[in-house]
Amino acid sequence: MSARDLAVVARFDSRLFWRDKTALTTSVGLFVLLGIGLPLMMDRVGPEGPKFLLDIHLGVLVTFLTVATFSQIATTLTARRDQLLLKRMRTTGLSDRDILGGEVGNLVIQATLLTGVVSVALYALTGLTMPRDPLLYLVFVVAGSAVLCLLGAAFTAVIPRTEVATVMTMPFFFLAGIGAGGFGPMLEMLPGWAGTVLDLLPTAAVVEAAQVAYAADGTFLGDLGAAAVPALKLVVWAAIGLLAVRRWFRWETRRS
Amino acid sequence: MTAIQVDGLTKSYGDFAAVKGISFDVAPGEIFALLGRNGAGKTTTMEVLAGFQAPDEGTVRVLGLDPARDRSRVRARIGIMLQEAGFFPDLTVAQTVDAWRDFVAAPRPRDETLELTGLAAKATTKVRQLSGGEKRRLDLALAVLSRPDALFLDEPTAGMDPEARRNTWEVIQRLAGQGTTILLTTHYLEEAQRLASSMAIMDQGLIVAGGGMAETLAAETGRVAFELPSSVPPEELPVPVTTMEGRLAVYRLADPDLTARTLLNWASERGLRLRGLEVRTATLEDLFLDLASGEKHEKKATV
Repeated sequence: MSARDLAVVARFDSRLFWRDKTALTTSVGLFVLLGIGLPLMMDRVGPEGPKFLLDIHLGVLVTFLTVATFSQIATTLTARRDQLLLKRMRTTGLSDRDILGGEVGNLVIQATLLTGVVSVALYALTGLTMPRDPLLYLVFVVAGSAVLCLLGAAFTAVIPRTEVATVMTMPFFFLAGIGAGGFGPMLEMLPGWAGTVLDLLPTAAVVEAAQVAYAADGTFLGDLGAAAVPALKLVVWAAIGLLAVRRWFRWETRRS
Repeated sequence: MTAIQVDGLTKSYGDFAAVKGISFDVAPGEIFALLGRNGAGKTTTMEVLAGFQAPDEGTVRVLGLDPARDRSRVRARIGIMLQEAGFFPDLTVAQTVDAWRDFVAAPRPRDETLELTGLAAKATTKVRQLSGGEKRRLDLALAVLSRPDALFLDEPTAGMDPEARRNTWEVIQRLAGQGTTILLTTHYLEEAQRLASSMAIMDQGLIVAGGGMAETLAAETGRVAFELPSSVPPEELPVPVTTMEGRLAVYRLADPDLTARTLLNWASERGLRLRGLEVRTATLEDLFLDLASGEKHEKKATV
């Protein structure tokens, strides 16, 4: 694996992504439209204070972050696997890590930029203020996106064919949304254990760390301490993702 | 030194033994053909050589390296044309080649590659609009992009029209002339016979015939055939006929040229014409059919 090859694949994947109308509609269009639109609407309909606005923003954000990373990579990699495009890419000098890592890199960069667009738009259009610790926010958006991409790549192992890829990733989008409050305060209607379980999701870790970054007061050391638990969650998920990819990832369709 | 070395290769998928202990060597700069029906084990052999699968048993060396263990080092020096692999349909031919040039070290220039594979006129065509034969040529273009030392071609001319096939043969021969070792599988026996200097015929995971192309064919029977004039009963022929296919007298023998001369002399003495006379040495097709009929006999014998 080399940085050059990773960059080459990421750039190639990015070019393909921007030609893909389906990807643009779901991963970019919905992300921006609802990522900005929903919190903006809530803010205009009945301002319930900055805490509520922030919760909605982060809830919607990680819901669509799941679409733009987990679902997107699962759909793309399944299609490439089934069309034997991954196999063709493997006939070149590229290593397996370059091929997967390039796509992860491409989607992480895009998801981070989209998060930037959505966040900045909300700072401009609503009462939402800039995070006190923007670096912490950035680090967790990047790390969270990367972990979600890894998990999406691992998830392709159970997707039998391209046509069902998107449908099969939808439960995760709902789980992320419910857990993070992206569909409103739905957790209140569920039993307590559901909240505890959904708190373990990588998207919950991103929200948790982002709340720390947005909190009005705090110190650098205090932030580090508060971010330790979400960071640990992401590390565990990353390890699960890596192991699963290594163990079960399929580079080509099963032989009939 | 051998460029490709296969020794006792065995590979199974679950209960299905795809390759059952085959061995062969390919010399540097040689064109080697791997022949056989569908399911004979050709593609599996190729997949192991290209490092997509690890062998269950036996050893495989490509340019002195183990393709399973040193995959990246092997890949950097070989080109692979897969039997079926997708392209990105919305990219043009030129964009596809450009993207792939980024994926290999020291690539050929794009225009040189397109020229070589006869795709220069299609540079701005989207891949989804290419014909099956043109896609095969693009496949070849990507395989030769890295100026490989060894080239694996799985059914390189499938779906090509006769002219494109002939052009592809020229490309393959030119590359071999420059020292590239080429292993190819094909359904077209004429293609194998024309291109390859050595070959192996596989059947049910085993090599059932193989060796140098010329020697193997020389050891096989040739064929003489002609329409027997209706006035002549087959028993009157100076050389006993092998089979009568309707009015067509067919000989299968080691020296078709001598037999043809005997028959022509005999015919001219009697003022007869041997219509539709055909004289040829053994072709791969004959060998193939012989193997197939031999197998039939074996099966009958075991019933």
